[in-house]
Amino acid sequence: FLSLFLLLVTSEQIEHLHRRFKQLSGDQPTIRKEHFDNIPDLEFNPIRSKIVHAFFDKRNLRQESDGLADEINFEDFLTIMSYFRPIEMNMDEEQLDHFRKEKLKFLFHMYDSDHDGKITLQEYRNVVEELLSGNPHLEKESARSIADGAMMEAASICVGQMEPDQVYEGITFEDFLKIWQGIDIETKMHVRFLNMETIAQCH
Amino acid sequence: CGPHYRGRQNSLPSPDTRLHVFTLDYPHVQVPFEITLWILLASLAKIGFHLYHKLPSVVPESCLLILVGLLLGGIIFGAEEKSPPAMKSDVFFLYLLPPIVLDAGYFMPTRLFFENFGTIMLYAVVGTLWNAIGIGVSLFGICQIQVFGLTDITLLQCLLFGSLISAVDPVAVLAVFENIHVNEQLYILVFGESLLNDAVTVVLYNLFKSFCQMRTIETIDVFAGIANFFVVGIGGVLIGILLGFVAAFTTRFTHKIRVIEPLFVFLYSYLSYITAEMFHLSGIMAITACAMTMNKYVEENVSQKSFTTIKYFMKMLSSVSETLIFIFMGVSTVGKNHEWNWAFVCFTLLFCLIWRALGVFVLTQIINMFRTIPLTFKDQFIIAYGGLRGAICFSLVFLLPAAVFPRKKLFITSVIVVIFFTVFIQGITIRPLVEFLDVKRSNKKQPAVSEEIYNRFFDHVKAGIEDVCGHWGHNYWRDKFIKFDKKYIRRLLIRENQPKSSIVSLYKKLEIKHAIEMAESGMISTVPSLASLTDYRELKVKVKPLSSAEMENMRDILTKNLYQIRQRTLSYNRHSLAADASEKQAKEILIRRRHSLRESVRKSYSLSRERPAAANTTRYLSLPKNTKLPERLRIRKKAAFRGKGNDSSDSDIDAATTVLNLKPRPGNKMRDPKQKQRKPQQQFRMEWRNEVDRDCDGKGDHREAANQALTSSGFRQPLLSRPRFGTLSEEDLTKDDGSMRPMPPPRLGRQASEKGYSAGESKPT
Repeated sequence: FLSLFLLLVTSEQIEHLHRRFKQLSGDQPTIRKEHFDNIPDLEFNPIRSKIVHAFFDKRNLRQESDGLADEINFEDFLTIMSYFRPIEMNMDEEQLDHFRKEKLKFLFHMYDSDHDGKITLQEYRNVVEELLSGNPHLEKESARSIADGAMMEAASICVGQMEPDQVYEGITFEDFLKIWQGIDIETKMHVRFLNMETIAQCH
Repeated sequence: CGPHYRGRQNSLPSPDTRLHVFTLDYPHVQVPFEITLWILLASLAKIGFHLYHKLPSVVPESCLLILVGLLLGGIIFGAEEKSPPAMKSDVFFLYLLPPIVLDAGYFMPTRLFFENFGTIMLYAVVGTLWNAIGIGVSLFGICQIQVFGLTDITLLQCLLFGSLISAVDPVAVLAVFENIHVNEQLYILVFGESLLNDAVTVVLYNLFKSFCQMRTIETIDVFAGIANFFVVGIGGVLIGILLGFVAAFTTRFTHKIRVIEPLFVFLYSYLSYITAEMFHLSGIMAITACAMTMNKYVEENVSQKSFTTIKYFMKMLSSVSETLIFIFMGVSTVGKNHEWNWAFVCFTLLFCLIWRALGVFVLTQIINMFRTIPLTFKDQFIIAYGGLRGAICFSLVFLLPAAVFPRKKLFITSVIVVIFFTVFIQGITIRPLVEFLDVKRSNKKQPAVSEEIYNRFFDHVKAGIEDVCGHWGHNYWRDKFIKFDKKYIRRLLIRENQPKSSIVSLYKKLEIKHAIEMAESGMISTVPSLASLTDYRELKVKVKPLSSAEMENMRDILTKNLYQIRQRTLSYNRHSLAADASEKQAKEILIRRRHSLRESVRKSYSLSRERPAAANTTRYLSLPKNTKLPERLRIRKKAAFRGKGNDSSDSDIDAATTVLNLKPRPGNKMRDPKQKQRKPQQQFRMEWRNEVDRDCDGKGDHREAANQALTSSGFRQPLLSRPRFGTLSEEDLTKDDGSMRPMPPPRLGRQASEKGYSAGESKPT
């Protein structure tokens, strides 16, 4: 996989990322969760913990097992960063689709913290609460009701008409895909510097 | 329309005149009378167009209005044998244009605008310059050809003409793009360009006009021109932002005098416009900046009613202005102001089209290198084709000093031809072309809460990742601005010192709006006031903390019950005879009332110019298509949350449910002996209890579970129409019950909920 990534990224970018990796890890070969505390701007990010977890999530690291890794090396770091590479002009439909799915899967894993493949109400609420955690005056109930409302919408989009007996367990990945159908995530979900340098590469 | 006097003097009454019983004194009221008549005429014309419903979709309103104006002008011309009152440029620029720009700026989707800011600026500045100079120079080339008889037009005059005719007009763009619903991105590009190019137009116009009048032109003057451009643009924006902040600050203190809050919004924005005009800066950019700034902060300070007032009034003003502008254009066309020259006119038109297309094409190639989402050929075509000219260049050409421009009439004629061509031909054909080219249409989605959540989540993810890899991206600045905003600006400008999260405000706003709509349509008596909304916070009823098993259970209940999507048709359960007749009937009345209320709200709710963000809050929860009772759903859902963990409830329920003066149902009604079968009726009862007994938070579980079940997404057929309610009697009800019964949903998760009750609920009685 690393080679695939390398095809799309110049050696300059890898250099840059490697430098950053070394900076974060303090010249160690691996990074642990504590190392992410050194990033000052990340502190203000309300979903900080989810982002950090995403780096250690074994599902994102494409490992067969589940759960969270304790530490990641540079290759893993690159793997995570590869979710944020921009689309190429010459991608065909199938590649674009795969690309999009990959990115959405990354986001999905961030929502689904217990790794059961579904975003349950509790997880969703968790997300909303975290998102709104910047505001200390906010009542928990508001966050909750918002999350609940959103879940209902998701249910209606995904399942549409339900039988009376049906119970909506949670948002599965397919449902998640449906929800994001209108939004062109593949174009938005990229880190800009990866983009600019590819331009430099073109000439 | 200038007044023209009929010369009725107030002569001294001669000794012979008697006292007049009935007098007619027209000059006294002439000016306001005529103005009122014009506006009335414009509005009536608008009504007329919409009577035939297919018409506005084929022909944009602007065309029809111009036709009406032409007709009117023709009549006046025929009647009085002289040119009808031409639209004075002053009137246009000072009174008619600001409302339209204000309206557009206030409802501009800021996020999208700033994302595409670079593109828009490039099109606006470079594109307009390109057009102006290109058209000017090529026209001059044409003028040199002896055959056409145009040799007396100098290069500077051509350049001036080029600059005023290259201005893409926001009014025309709005009017036409209204109909075709292209995706937001395209709309923003064309519309943003039309707003921002005002700075360029103003500068070029004034520059070339002064050049025409000056004897010699030094290089220093050219540089002064360039500097002037920056002053005009940035100065306008600064004035707008400054006054926007002042307006926001003012509204911080208006909570005692809510009635005049809307006034501040309008006054400050208009002030920004005319202040900018006073300094010969770009008034359009000033008012746009002011509106965009105000939008963020004022909304949080003003009351809901004021906010509604502002919205509606703005729409009304801009609608009237637009109508008047187009009618005047039609009227002013007729008359003796013309000089026709085939070559000039045709080549002007040709060059406008060619240069615009070239400009867009070339610029897009440059821009696409920097954009992630490249603009396709179809997008480019729409942008080029959507560059309509309108009233701005019309007024500018009338403003040309006739002394310096001996061929002014020629200019007027060609401008009119270009405008008519763009508005009529391009306006009418753009829609079929869009359909033909299959442009990505905008999906008219209501702003759902979940979208906010996703977008916000996504922004944070992106920012986080960018922080991790140590690069400053777009989001870095955005996050920085938001942080700065929260810490300093909002504290200063917003009244309550609690930075409200936008998700919550959006949510609450939608709730309130919906409730107000329901109330406004007349059936429900009270309107929620903001005061009542804050009361809920005090309502925290502390009950003994539940054990984790109970919590788990409740969560389980909720999980199961919450997501049961309501059925479209309620299935009637004939076993449910627990409620006594009167109760049932009263319930029925309520249900039907609400249903018909919703029907009537939906029918009457059609503000044509409502932007998506503001409209259709009735469908805030995008439930399955035939969901007819979204509001009930919400109420139910809200009620559900009350029960969870015995926390206090969301205030909005109380607000939305208002006061239904029904006999409060005592708790024991619920304890139905036949509780095994959780009858649907009981759900309804619970629903009411919900609304009436606000304090029974302890009983949350019952309600919550019951109400969750309340699917009732709709009745099979529309129920009694409103007028009939007054005459509804018991007998009618019983009779009707047989025929069209609303069918309560069978309650499924009942079993689960029952278990839940036994687990954690202390049953009174």
